[in-house]
Amino acid sequence: MTFASVYEELFYKALRIRLVEERVIELYPSDKIQSPVHLSIGQEAVAVGACQSLKPTDLLFASYRNHAFYLAKGGDLRAMFAELYGKVMGCAGGKAGSMHLLAPEVGLMGSSAVVASTIPHAVGAALVAKRRKHEQVIVAAFGDGATEEGAYHESLNFAALHKLPVVFLCENNGLAVHSALSARQSYRIIDHARSYGLPVTCMPDGHDFMKVCEIFSGIVDHARQHRTPYFMEIQTYRYKEHVGPGEDYHAGYRSRAELEAWKAKDQLILNKELADRYRPTILQEIDDAVAFAEASPWPSREHLLSDVV
Amino acid sequence: MSTAHTGTHADEQLSSACPGEVVTYRDALFRTMRDALKQNPDVILFGQGVDDHKGIFGSTLGLAHEFGSDRVFDTPLAEEGMTGVAIGAALNGLYPIQTHIRADFVLLAMNQIVNLAAKYKYMFGGRLEVPMLIRMVVGRSWGQGAQHSQSLQSLFAHIPGLTVLMPASAQSILECYPYAIANQRGPVLAIEHRLMYDLKFRVDEVREKPNGSPLASHRVRVGKDVTIVATSIMVLEALRAAEHLARSAGIECEIIDLNCVSHIDAAMILESVKKTGKLLVADTSWKAYGVCAEVCRIVCEHSPASLKAPAVTLGMQPAPCPTAKSLEDMYYPNLRDLTDAIAKLVSGKGDHGIPLPDEHSMADVYKRFKGPF
Repeated sequence: MTFASVYEELFYKALRIRLVEERVIELYPSDKIQSPVHLSIGQEAVAVGACQSLKPTDLLFASYRNHAFYLAKGGDLRAMFAELYGKVMGCAGGKAGSMHLLAPEVGLMGSSAVVASTIPHAVGAALVAKRRKHEQVIVAAFGDGATEEGAYHESLNFAALHKLPVVFLCENNGLAVHSALSARQSYRIIDHARSYGLPVTCMPDGHDFMKVCEIFSGIVDHARQHRTPYFMEIQTYRYKEHVGPGEDYHAGYRSRAELEAWKAKDQLILNKELADRYRPTILQEIDDAVAFAEASPWPSREHLLSDVV
Repeated sequence: MSTAHTGTHADEQLSSACPGEVVTYRDALFRTMRDALKQNPDVILFGQGVDDHKGIFGSTLGLAHEFGSDRVFDTPLAEEGMTGVAIGAALNGLYPIQTHIRADFVLLAMNQIVNLAAKYKYMFGGRLEVPMLIRMVVGRSWGQGAQHSQSLQSLFAHIPGLTVLMPASAQSILECYPYAIANQRGPVLAIEHRLMYDLKFRVDEVREKPNGSPLASHRVRVGKDVTIVATSIMVLEALRAAEHLARSAGIECEIIDLNCVSHIDAAMILESVKKTGKLLVADTSWKAYGVCAEVCRIVCEHSPASLKAPAVTLGMQPAPCPTAKSLEDMYYPNLRDLTDAIAKLVSGKGDHGIPLPDEHSMADVYKRFKGPF
């Protein structure tokens, strides 16, 4: 598919992620997807903006909220739906589900449901990149909650100490499950990262995929050339509940006014003309992927004890 | 319960040792580390103090100098983070070897070992692998106390996806480590025993490898009267007790060194118990939920009628390890306890009348070093 501009390309990619997740929401009551889903709706711009400047050989390590990164990094849509369905043609043969998507063929090196646990993996991969692979850049993508974990601090320290080509990408949606930042953190994320001697950038406009793309591309270029780490925090907003297909504004831990403020800046909502133009093509691709998942067989007894050791 | 090792080819040569040569446990470790670095440019070796003047009790001494700080390096005190770094390095093509001077510190890395390394191959449908070796040393004596003495094999061996080695000789190290580094595509944990570092072992011809892998259990003594299944330094204790009983009472013990406690050779144990009718399990750790319990489970499930007497188990007392020597000597089973237990089991009598060795502190026998470690 060719695009007239980077804006159109990023718009298309972000819209594709949103429509995929909206299909997940539609399908969820059917119980065909028996896997906890942590939706990225509202946060698509971060993933598409960041991944735009990454090559398939650049590695990205993700968390359980990984659908957007999986697709933005180039993961196969059919393999994703088949995985959500628990089918053998899924990207992990049905053993991973939503929380552990991977696409090593395009550099998505696994996703973990234990907060912050893949951040040191990115650092270890960067240790290899620094010594062996002179073009490769590694990205650790994580949320604001991860910055409270010990492994996060251990990772920043080691990356800064050894000057490794890893970009720490913190998607700050202000929430850990239902807990606000103010209930969890005595520090400002960006100041704390800076204290390790890392160069840092904080960007409040996580809705703006063009801006994310522009800033992140400079950071990736820097890491590619200088082989040193970088820290970027992007403010963003999770439209849906922590896990599951719904919304939970009635629970009172945040206000719908916040959501409306982010939606008022959301290109995927504002640019109706472009959304209308791309929607049919994307929906067709999604129909095809869902049909593929439906048709794929279940894993069987032969798979139960394969790939253990 | 077959072994799950998938290696296609085992090095037929022992790593830099000739049959008949006498090699210390420490030297076997050093040789395997050095050979790994020399033979495979993808191997890196790191851990707290790996490049210092003590070099993990001599097992890594001089390797940073020889192979460069890119490949052999010290780490921050960050066990979880560094195990995660090892996983990431493995995912990007290296073979990391991580060291811990005490096994107790590995508890800080349990998240990465159990939730990540052990799961990655399976959880990702075989598409990711994390080949790596984690070495850890079990301390004992000179007041190691509660947090420098734990032998945590049952915690690790409980988890599918992990391969857990407990080398009981230099030979085991020389056979297993190079094999694991060359052939195992997942995480291998090696639990080494500090008291064995100075011991000298005669290296034999390459031993038979059931299933083509040296990561298997080995019958280290053949006998007809009792089957002793043991791990790590308890294999040596069992051998000493067996010699004593053969000399003083004509009792012939058969001894099985489990060696790879995560993949026990059940057939070897069952066959032996069928022959002897008696089972004694001697492990370096606590008995409950551990190797002792597991070996008894295997026999109870598959061949309970083989047992002509109730199984006997020996391990640490069910308490944290005390520091005072007077307590520590009671805490671990000693040669006298082990010999007595075997004699009772074989004779079927409490007052068997077989003379027992006058040895109450195993550490005094093995220990060549004095503090601070």
